[in-house]
Amino acid sequence: MKIRVAGIEKESVVDGPGLRFVLFVQGCTRHCTGCHNPDTWDFDGGQEMDTGEILDQFGEGGLIRGITLSGGEPFEQAGACALLAGQIRALGRDIVTYTGYTFEELQDRSSADLDVKRLLEATDILVDGPFIAEERDWDLPFRGSRNQRLILVPESLASGMAVPAGSTTPVNGRVGLGKR
Amino acid sequence: MFDRIRKRDGREAHFDDSKITDAIFRAARAVGGEDRETAMELTLEVLRMLKQRYNGQIFGVEDVQDIVEKILIEKGHAKTAKAYILYRDRRTRLRDAKGELMDVVEEIIKETDRDNANVGNSASAKMLQIASAASRRYYLTRLIDEDYSLAHSRGDIHIHDLDFYATSVNCLEIPLEKLLMDGFNNGHGFIRPPKRPGTATALAAIILQSSQNDMFGGQAFPFFDKQMAPFIDGADEEVVFQAMEALVFNLNSMHSRAGSQVPFSSINLGTDTSEEGRRVTRNFLLGYEAGLGHGENPIFPNVIFRVKKGVSFDPQDPNYDLFQIAVRVASKRLNPTFSFMDSSFNKPYDDQVAYMGCRTRTMDNRRGPAVTTGRGNLSFTTINLPRLGIKAERNMKTFYRLLDDVTELTINQLYHRFQVQCRLKVKDLPFVMGQGLYLGSEGLKPDDSIEPAIVNGTLTVGFIGLAELLVALTGYHHGQSKESQQLGLEIVKYLRKKTDEACERFNLNYTLLATPAEGTCGRYVRLDRKEYGIIPGITNQEYYTNSYHIPVHFPISSFDKISLEGPYHKFCNAGHISYVEFASPPQDNPEAVEAIVRHMAESDMGYGGINYPVDFCCNCSLQGVINEPNCPRCGSADIRRIRRITGYLSTIDRFNDGKVEELKHRLPHN
Repeated sequence: MKIRVAGIEKESVVDGPGLRFVLFVQGCTRHCTGCHNPDTWDFDGGQEMDTGEILDQFGEGGLIRGITLSGGEPFEQAGACALLAGQIRALGRDIVTYTGYTFEELQDRSSADLDVKRLLEATDILVDGPFIAEERDWDLPFRGSRNQRLILVPESLASGMAVPAGSTTPVNGRVGLGKR
Repeated sequence: MFDRIRKRDGREAHFDDSKITDAIFRAARAVGGEDRETAMELTLEVLRMLKQRYNGQIFGVEDVQDIVEKILIEKGHAKTAKAYILYRDRRTRLRDAKGELMDVVEEIIKETDRDNANVGNSASAKMLQIASAASRRYYLTRLIDEDYSLAHSRGDIHIHDLDFYATSVNCLEIPLEKLLMDGFNNGHGFIRPPKRPGTATALAAIILQSSQNDMFGGQAFPFFDKQMAPFIDGADEEVVFQAMEALVFNLNSMHSRAGSQVPFSSINLGTDTSEEGRRVTRNFLLGYEAGLGHGENPIFPNVIFRVKKGVSFDPQDPNYDLFQIAVRVASKRLNPTFSFMDSSFNKPYDDQVAYMGCRTRTMDNRRGPAVTTGRGNLSFTTINLPRLGIKAERNMKTFYRLLDDVTELTINQLYHRFQVQCRLKVKDLPFVMGQGLYLGSEGLKPDDSIEPAIVNGTLTVGFIGLAELLVALTGYHHGQSKESQQLGLEIVKYLRKKTDEACERFNLNYTLLATPAEGTCGRYVRLDRKEYGIIPGITNQEYYTNSYHIPVHFPISSFDKISLEGPYHKFCNAGHISYVEFASPPQDNPEAVEAIVRHMAESDMGYGGINYPVDFCCNCSLQGVINEPNCPRCGSADIRRIRRITGYLSTIDRFNDGKVEELKHRLPHN
């Protein structure tokens, strides 16, 4: 499937727990003030790739724990992202998705948009919410402003409410993110 | 006949033929001659040849002297010729030593050079460097055999710590508990055993400093948790924490290595499962994590966490919680590094192997017990592998012949240095030998040779630039081709065979080292470039790649880098290390760090570390990656940038040019 890409980072330690393969998709409508990657906003920028190519680059993964979908706004290309997420999941890896939408906004859109639903369901950890410059906090792991949350998606979908990862909440069987 | 001559410094001066006569006459007199007449006749012959050869063009002082020698020999004045040649040579050496040395002194007074990132720019530092420069020249011209001197000057080998050639030995794993239990004397009186944790760690710092004063290399505590445990028994947690924090502070501020550096200190801990030992480990790691006064990243000590299955590696292990703390600290402090007790070459020793921050490992022993405490390296000399590759011109037979020659030379040079070191007496290393720190020094008297102790030390052959060597031999380095990796392993295995053979021949502990090159990495390239020009993939960078490492600028995943470098560790019994490089501290990402450490263990590594930039705003204490010149939070330009230089940490402004270039090229794994 075709997908518009801004860039790929094969081994990151700052885009989610563990070593991660990061896909930055191209195109975003949010345009947060102080965005880290404004070059990714233009839907005509970046380059078009096939999800197959990206999967090839992911390869066997080595020490990579999973893929991080970032950008840009992954939910603007939810279909392609969901496909890729499913394929990576089949290799036994996990999925972290960054988004400018909140979990609640995505829950709402899920009922009408099947691609959004699919991507949400394929995600293990959702880093949600727009970047708000006034809420900027340098000490937050994996995100930039205090309103952004790390949401454990399977638990959240099961309970119907956003379940954020905390210092004692297991993340895929391990004690995970947040302050000690 | 002539009126101009060119002096050695290039200036033109008035030509005076009586100087030739004087020189010849002086040489003649030295061998019993008396006749100035003959000297004058010979001078005429010289002038005649000068006219013939130079035909009106200006000539230099050396040209004249060449002709004098020729004439003396041709006219049958062999003895005079010999005296003349020897005198000329002595003058040359002296002139080079004096002139160059004074130039060097002048440079140092302006600013100390950066061959050693640990040396600052104070008066003590300058004094150290001047003494160092003079020592080097003395040893090269007067003490060391010409073969070795020339090989060193040419850049075939590099004799490390040349400035200490005759005055000491390299490094030591200190028997801390012995000194603390029995008390010690470092020159001004007896220091009795400490009763409180704070005193114990203060004394630990003093001991390390005193030991450092006697030696030029690293100082380490091989089992810090076990060694300190008896002294924290019954103390409050807060008291223990403060004692450890104080030690970290001390190790970052006492300038006593050769009068002007903070000692190269290393601490090994992790596998003591006793209650007190665990408290030591926990509090030390927490103290290190807290950092210095403003929360800055400590530069010292190197902290080495011992990983062992069943003890400190897996979730069910008694010290797994300590391993988790170690991983957390490693994700933001560049320390600890991790030593692997279960690797094929360390496992036979249970958990008794210790390392130093630079990567030194001293374990096997043909002259005493195979322990690490009280022992260390005596000296090491590094072979320039890329040069051999260039000279071999893709012929493997030629390569091995050249390798044999230079390895043999190195082995003999190490033995020469050992013999020089054996002339040292206990009183020359008053603390290390006089207080019985070194294995085998107990019972020796002040005027005894230190030989009975240092036979327990190691004589080490090192190497640099395997990657560039492989490019020279095959066109590809070992990150690029499986064949090159195979060849690389073969070559390092071969070197290890050579040092094993030397053990048999000399009955001494010869070992092979993956040299932690600092100054050497730039020096060799400069010399090779001068000799052979710029060769792509070999001399086109400003540095040679460290030991068997994959070149830092080559894009490769952490997984692959570790898989490729792991197999080399077992051959380098004198020490080895591998690093992975991240673009930012994985500071909220212990999973990433743990994944790396586990793969290192699986790849049969002995010792590994994780590198990333640590930028610290001295104004608002923001720590992270600051790619701009100013702090993004407060705007201050006072940013302290710490990187691992070659096993130890330093701030970038102290890096030498070769290392600055290498740092620029270090590619994070993405």
